[in-house]
Amino acid sequence: MVLLNRSLIVARFEFLKIVKRKQFLLITFGFPIFFLLIMAIPMMANLMVFDDDPDLKSIGYIDQTGLFNLSSKNTAGSQVIVSVKKINESIEFIQYTGNEEAEKAIISKTISSYIIIPDDYLQNGTIELYSTNSGFDFQEMELSAQLSEIIITTLLTDKVDDDTLGRIIEPVDMKLFTIDTVGDVKEKGISDIIGDFALPFITGMLLIITIFSASGYLLRGVAEEKETRVIEIILSSLTPRELLTGKIIGLGCVGLLQITIWISIGTMGSIYVLPVVIKPLVLLLAFVYFILGFLLFASIMAGVGAISGSMQEAQQLVGIFTFIAIAPMMFMQVLITKPDGAISTFLSLFPLTSPVAMMSRIAVSDVPVYQIAASILILIVSVYFVIILSSRLFRVGLLMYGKRPDIRTIVQYMR
Amino acid sequence: MAIIELTDISKSYNDTQVINNISFSVNQGEIFGLLGPNGAGKTTILRMLLDIITSDSGSIKVFDSTPDYAAKDRIGYLPEERGLYKTTKITDHLVYLAQLKGIPKKQAQEKAEYLLRLIEMYEHKEKKVEELSKGMQQKIQFIAAIIHDPDIIVVDEPFSGLDPVNTKLIINILLEQKKAGKTIILSTHIMEQVQTLCDRILMINKGSVVLYDTVDRIRKKYRKNLKNNSVILEFDGSVDAFSGLDCIRKVIEHDTFVELILQDADDIQPLLEELIKRVEIIRFEQTTPSLNDIFIEIVEGGITE
Repeated sequence: MVLLNRSLIVARFEFLKIVKRKQFLLITFGFPIFFLLIMAIPMMANLMVFDDDPDLKSIGYIDQTGLFNLSSKNTAGSQVIVSVKKINESIEFIQYTGNEEAEKAIISKTISSYIIIPDDYLQNGTIELYSTNSGFDFQEMELSAQLSEIIITTLLTDKVDDDTLGRIIEPVDMKLFTIDTVGDVKEKGISDIIGDFALPFITGMLLIITIFSASGYLLRGVAEEKETRVIEIILSSLTPRELLTGKIIGLGCVGLLQITIWISIGTMGSIYVLPVVIKPLVLLLAFVYFILGFLLFASIMAGVGAISGSMQEAQQLVGIFTFIAIAPMMFMQVLITKPDGAISTFLSLFPLTSPVAMMSRIAVSDVPVYQIAASILILIVSVYFVIILSSRLFRVGLLMYGKRPDIRTIVQYMR
Repeated sequence: MAIIELTDISKSYNDTQVINNISFSVNQGEIFGLLGPNGAGKTTILRMLLDIITSDSGSIKVFDSTPDYAAKDRIGYLPEERGLYKTTKITDHLVYLAQLKGIPKKQAQEKAEYLLRLIEMYEHKEKKVEELSKGMQQKIQFIAAIIHDPDIIVVDEPFSGLDPVNTKLIINILLEQKKAGKTIILSTHIMEQVQTLCDRILMINKGSVVLYDTVDRIRKKYRKNLKNNSVILEFDGSVDAFSGLDCIRKVIEHDTFVELILQDADDIQPLLEELIKRVEIIRFEQTTPSLNDIFIEIVEGGITE
């Protein structure tokens, strides 16, 4: 009772110390705003494009085959307008009879570029594009796709029926369906598809950011206490283990608060954007993985913080663990596309990566229950051993100032 | 009555013997000085008393039992290696440290305000630690050690970094605490303070006890042991009076007195007899070695008790 009491005092102090900081408020509320802005800016830009009357872009052409009349196709084919709109412009084709005429038009800025359809076009399919632009132009690629459509239509009109012509231009429009375990078939909507990819990624990101910001606070806290020598005063009142327990509880609560705020903002946001439904069971598992993942990393950070001589040294030592923890993000594509493959299974069982990896797998596939259970069990066992190890390091490391103990000394402490 | 009792305590770190079979006791209500050069093992002893580290062998008794929770709460500790959270308000700081000693929050707040007034820092109570000068931080650390009204106050180099005014303030608080029946363990290397403040001292060097007694008895004892061959003399007459006295090696003239350095300490009695005949003596004093002299002699000369 006494033990928990003191730990709770530490927890409360640590919690308030972080939560009252300006940086915490900035990260907690700034991150979702930043995220929304990244999502919103391209959307808004798109909307503005559709609202505006598109500028008309003029391109000259010289048709040496005499087969094509692009000017009339431009006004007749609505397809062209739509696809060109993507690049914020509409194209007007102006016919010229010779190169000189077209070049003059370019110099006088009547047109921005011109194409030549050579007389052997039907034999080898080459079309030449001349423009003042010397670099790579994305619009030129668009133009190529568009010309293809106009040329197909011109060449095949009257030779095939309209439906066939439509399929030649756009052969496949794939619709996706999923069959669940009881055999019900459901069409995959755009929100499902985005949910499949975005949800695991966002969950993974949130877990990583939260675990690392909270355990980062712990690392900084311990290193600061050592550096400023507060630790000696604190340790005259309570044991290193009580101190460690209190810190982990306090900073774990900071992490939980942060993730709750983010999920709330995210849920509110998603009501407007996408009807993505998060299942309560998934939420519960996310909670379990957060707690275990946090305990694991927090204990590692505490041990590292305790044996390092300064804040700077602590951060260097922690780098390696950060790298391992971020690994699932690098394998995100594998986790989403092959959620039941060997790499995904390994990552979701290995304790340093399992919280993020398993949450990602759960989001995209039905992970066998035994695997979830095994992954949680491995995590719990790892947490247990890391805490024991860390609190020993914590106990001895805290009072050693100036120099970091070498490997031999650390091993000695471990026994 | 002994309130702290250490018996045959030894401690080593990685094959280095830091404390070597030390025994001593501290009586209730006394100011007990723990002295020794840097690295002698003072801090290690204090940490063991507070159960921050454990001894390899021997027994430690605080309040008649092994150091435990209840004991920790009744001890106030001002470590030599000390600091404060830079960005925390000083009142929050004091309340937190008091709470860790088992004091309820409200009571801790009242006590913090009382002590801040006592050390003349009440107007700074809303400030963050980093806004305070080093001396001010020292004073905050000091009251943090006594905020829970401990029965034993352990202070390690409490005056380092303090100006004379604040040193006096802290000394007065310590004397007040003594008057209230508290036991104080003072670890320092500044001997003048020990001489005036401490009832008894323990001096250690390289992890072993070299002196353990009352200050007066130690000085008396070392008056003979140390090669103390100088005499303070206040007199009516001329310095010429000393001519022809072979036992005087050197005469150092001060404003109102002279200091006579003799060839040998044994010459003091014969000198006095001779001087009485020559001048009118107002003061004749054999200087008693200060603790500082004894300390240096012991550390450099390797004297043991």
